[in-house]
Amino acid sequence: MMSSLLDWFIQPDVITAIVAFGSMGLFFVGLFGLLTQRHLIKIFISISLMEAAVFLYFLGTIFHRELTAPILGDGHTAFTGMNDPIPHAMILTAIVIGMALFALGVSFAIEYYKLTGRTDINKMKEMGE
Amino acid sequence: MNFKRDIPVRTYSGFALSALLVLTILTILLQSSVEKIERAGDKLLGINAQEGVANAVTSVVVYFRGFDTLGEIAVLFIAALGIGLMVSSHKSAQRHKEESNFILQTASKLLFPFITLFGVYVMIYGHLSPGGGFQGGVIIASGVLLLLISYQNFEVPHALITALETLAGISYVLIGLLGLWILDHFLGNFLPSDISDMGMLISGGIIPLIYIIVGVKVGSEMSMIVQNLIQRSDDE
Amino acid sequence: MSSIYFVALPLLFGFAVPLLTKLGKNGVAYTSTLMQAGLFILASTLLISTSWHVEIIAINPPLGISFVLNEASLFFVTLFTLLMMSFSFYYMGLRKTDPYENENKFFILINMLLASSIGLVLSSDIFNIYVFFEIAGISAYILSAYKKTPKALEAGIKYLLTGMIASVFLVFAIALIYIHLGSLNLAVLSEHFVTLPHDTKFLIGLLLFLGFGFKVEIFPLNFWVTDVYEGSSAPVDALFSAIVVKAYLFVFFHILYLFLPNSEYAAFLIYLGAISMLVAEIIALKQSDLKRVFAYSSLGQIGFIFSVMAAGSSEAVTAAFYIVLAHSLAKMMIFLSIASIEREHKSSQISTLTTLNSPFLKVIMVIAMLSLLGIPPPLGFTGKFLALKSFTVSGEFIVLAMIIVASLIESIYYFKITGALFAKGERREKLSLTFSQKGVFGILALALVVIGIAPWLISGFVHDASQVMLDSAAYLQTILGASK
Repeated sequence: MMSSLLDWFIQPDVITAIVAFGSMGLFFVGLFGLLTQRHLIKIFISISLMEAAVFLYFLGTIFHRELTAPILGDGHTAFTGMNDPIPHAMILTAIVIGMALFALGVSFAIEYYKLTGRTDINKMKEMGE
Repeated sequence: MNFKRDIPVRTYSGFALSALLVLTILTILLQSSVEKIERAGDKLLGINAQEGVANAVTSVVVYFRGFDTLGEIAVLFIAALGIGLMVSSHKSAQRHKEESNFILQTASKLLFPFITLFGVYVMIYGHLSPGGGFQGGVIIASGVLLLLISYQNFEVPHALITALETLAGISYVLIGLLGLWILDHFLGNFLPSDISDMGMLISGGIIPLIYIIVGVKVGSEMSMIVQNLIQRSDDE
Repeated sequence: MSSIYFVALPLLFGFAVPLLTKLGKNGVAYTSTLMQAGLFILASTLLISTSWHVEIIAINPPLGISFVLNEASLFFVTLFTLLMMSFSFYYMGLRKTDPYENENKFFILINMLLASSIGLVLSSDIFNIYVFFEIAGISAYILSAYKKTPKALEAGIKYLLTGMIASVFLVFAIALIYIHLGSLNLAVLSEHFVTLPHDTKFLIGLLLFLGFGFKVEIFPLNFWVTDVYEGSSAPVDALFSAIVVKAYLFVFFHILYLFLPNSEYAAFLIYLGAISMLVAEIIALKQSDLKRVFAYSSLGQIGFIFSVMAAGSSEAVTAAFYIVLAHSLAKMMIFLSIASIEREHKSSQISTLTTLNSPFLKVIMVIAMLSLLGIPPPLGFTGKFLALKSFTVSGEFIVLAMIIVASLIESIYYFKITGALFAKGERREKLSLTFSQKGVFGILALALVVIGIAPWLISGFVHDASQVMLDSAAYLQTILGASK
């Protein structure tokens, strides 16, 4: 009975649905944090969570169980029956860019805190009328 | 007795708004069926063998989409620049008030060469096994971070790092321009890349070369970023 | 002549700056200005011999990335190189008395901004567009926070936050595009986008709109703009307003024309642009800080451009090109003037204008404001007139009314500013401008007035550019047929 349950889980449609639920759940957590948190660093973390959710969704949806990793070795001698390498390249780039922006944001926040002693985004009202 | 009930309006409305948005997206995502179509990546796998590189992801990152990688390097470069700009006012500050643990100091001194070696290995073999420039560079930077945490006086030699970074950046664009002048494609593969060399260290033309350049640049930039973010004055 | 040089050279320069510091204190500044002048000359020579030119990177499209240089993208490339060169000449004058700290880093940042803005306009691959989007973004965030005062840092943080949110939505959109359509090349995508089921098309469209919307500064996603403009220093505002936002506008509409020609959403976008313009002009009335006033004015003009481009007809797009040219030139003049005023008087309130003593700057500002309002002879009139004509012809009378009302409101506060400029009263010492600064203002003003009086100088080219931008079939054919 367990094995038939596992067999049901392994169907591609079910896996896609699970991936969608999971990644969108993470996206929801990130979005909620973005909208409600006031501390600068927490806002940056929330945005990183949203990015991670998008990557998870992308990878999970485009992956096929029966195909193997796009690299030669372990007996493979030709590039057939492999998963798509482009999503990997795209996500690699996007992760690095996201991390660079996060680091920059943290340094801005640190400098702002040193100058004004504040990290609350609602209190950032130096300007405006 | 009047007390004000603090209704977290912001929290509730934020919850409602994000739930609404996410549920809409989720329904649309679940309704759309993902067909098994032939995507660009599958076509690239077909022509990948010509490049003689065993790791298809590397050839995509470095060659087929090398321009994106160049852009990514530029982003990292600018980020390191920006962080250096922000933190430049606290150069000569001591990092921690106390010396760290004797165990940590000894262990990090022992571990650092191995971490660096591993990082260099991942970088150089990026076209044969999973890994590559970014991964190797970050590993080296983590070794540097270990040293920064353990020793109060350790500083990454600024001149050396800047020289490495500059050299690596210029080489990347120059290789691209060489491809333009020799092959009429920017970032074209103008070094020999026979399929017979597949699996050897020297194979794939400019691909391992570029990945090593990327590794050097990423490693040096991450080390600088890490040092800038750690180095703060403690007497606020 | 390869279009890759426009991107590769500033990039190479940026990487090589630590080396160039060996050339002495002024080495970096002179090299940068020289290089930008060279790029402008290159772009101008290409103007004379235009034809479609596809630059292939690494491997042939549609599997590889390519740059497409046609009349439309060449228009923007020439405009950006001209504006950046003017900015550099202005800065060469500014740095004699008030150089920026860590000046070499400043030059790296503006060159990266130039390279990525040009890359955005030339690229034909959607992920490559995302990478340039990020490069432009990160350069802009750091330029915004450059002075490291609390105001500047606040501007930088707000800019960075909205930019990161936009990135998330854009990556999500690109991921969905790749999952469902299997390609990243704009030509292939434009062919197959219409075959998607309606829900998926809606989701991708919404995510793309959110992703680009923040950067294109359309209502309601433009709440961050004025704070960022107020916190940044005025020369940097000039770059943002004249170069960066135009690149994003081009990309947004390029993708819109390719993916959804004659769509049912055009009307929605037209109204959104008009609302954006109206709201911005109304709020501008209450402002007393020069940078904020002109930031709202920019928002209004960009709403106008957005509305006109959304109309999507050949006349409308031609009008939009004229407005883009006029607005970029005028805003560059305005913000650089504010930079000089700020440097001299240490304040950027409208009231400071009453003590301004520089007849030259006053004339410059008046010419720019005339252009922005759409009063002849400067170029703004041509653009506005053609736009209003195209709306009348297509029967969009409500939009027409909104634009006219917004322009009237705009004239009210420009009147106030002009009044402050020419008010009688105490004047301070004369504001001195260096030769290069006067030259820059002079050339920009001359361009505005001369082309305004004689638009037939560029009308042929502009007409070709607008045709090309709307012609998706030719775009497909060029990219899919190109191979070397």
